[in-house]
Amino acid sequence: MQLLAPTRAEEAIAALLDGPEGRVAVLAGGTDLLLDLDEGKSSPEVLLSLHRLPWRELTWEAERLEIGATLPLAQLEQDPELARRIPGLHEAVGAIGGVALRHQATLGGNLVRASPVSDLIPILLALECEVGLLGSGGERSLPLEQFLLGPRRTALQRGELVRRVWVPALPSAFRWQRVRPANDVSQISVAVAFAPKEERWRIATAGVAPLARRAKAAEAILRGPSPGEEAIAAAGASAAEEAEVRQDRRATDAYRRHLLRTLVLRAIRAVATGVGGQPA
Amino acid sequence: MTPSLHLLVNGVRREGAVPPTERLLDTLRWRLNLRGTKEGCRSGACGACTVLIDGRPRLSCLTLSHQVGEAPILTVEGLESDPVGRAVLETFVAEAALQCGYCTPGFVVALTGLLKEHPGATETTLLEGLQGNLCRCTGYSSIRRAVTRLSEPKR
Repeated sequence: MQLLAPTRAEEAIAALLDGPEGRVAVLAGGTDLLLDLDEGKSSPEVLLSLHRLPWRELTWEAERLEIGATLPLAQLEQDPELARRIPGLHEAVGAIGGVALRHQATLGGNLVRASPVSDLIPILLALECEVGLLGSGGERSLPLEQFLLGPRRTALQRGELVRRVWVPALPSAFRWQRVRPANDVSQISVAVAFAPKEERWRIATAGVAPLARRAKAAEAILRGPSPGEEAIAAAGASAAEEAEVRQDRRATDAYRRHLLRTLVLRAIRAVATGVGGQPA
Repeated sequence: MTPSLHLLVNGVRREGAVPPTERLLDTLRWRLNLRGTKEGCRSGACGACTVLIDGRPRLSCLTLSHQVGEAPILTVEGLESDPVGRAVLETFVAEAALQCGYCTPGFVVALTGLLKEHPGATETTLLEGLQGNLCRCTGYSSIRRAVTRLSEPKR
């Protein structure tokens, strides 16, 4: 296996296009891909490491945050503005792995791997972030919902790399439940965001099949910045009902459904408290 | 092909040929004879292989040696020559914060990294920062005592 570590974007794209089709693996933080290499699930001819590319931006714009694809999550977590401006993203990033893992793992890597148990995908879906994809013809952007095609499947085309993510700054919250607090997969995680201009609530859940998804029926139940306890309860019940939950060694399907309802309630209340005062 | 590599480990420049996908954990243990860093799960769950790269805690089982570049690496063998590392080691000894000792290098290196990144960190911050480290003897109460002591303001 050959390891390439280009310092310029054009070289990285060229390496993708010149390499044998389907035999070039892109390495960012490596916290997921290296396990696949160990287990023989992936045996590329070329390993294209992005660690020398200057893709570690962390730039606040008027209403959103631009995050370079290879910025380690720990540096995102430590941004002094993040907890105030995008609380749900701050909570989600702080819940990933442990401190050492967060110094390696990247946002771009997390999205490209499109794991059904990703804790970042639900919060980024709820915030309706955009993904910037760089190819030989330039950069295009896609809403995350269109970027994710299924478990381990994305809209990335041959010769393209995730370059950056734009995350709207919105009132938001992230709640999760695990057997072990760190370096473990959540049984269920839930993200909620509120877009004040459109007065729209957005709810996304992970730990459901086949990949994290929006709970749109539940979202439609909520109106205004302070939806009230009755609507919140109905949204929680709806989210639990519409989800296709998995059953595995981490949790039964019944427990996952219970968690879904509870965590959706808590996340909505957290956002409503921050946005429109204490829910009735 | 085994490309050559320069690493700065515990202040010493080391050089050698290292296969492209070799993990830093294996380079440290089997090429540089630094066996203090332990292999536990080899999958990023246990924290036994924690080292500091550029002062930050990292999992050496999930890091390619070739990804480290020029950044300084600090392993458990180098902690004594670091003032924060020395304080952590002395506190672990004073509190007998180990049973079998296999997880200890990971704990002391991770704690050193946390204290360097957050000088004067609270006990809660330190304990949260150690959630990624497992002790299978479940000797956590003595480790907690050491953490409490390290979080107390120095007189």
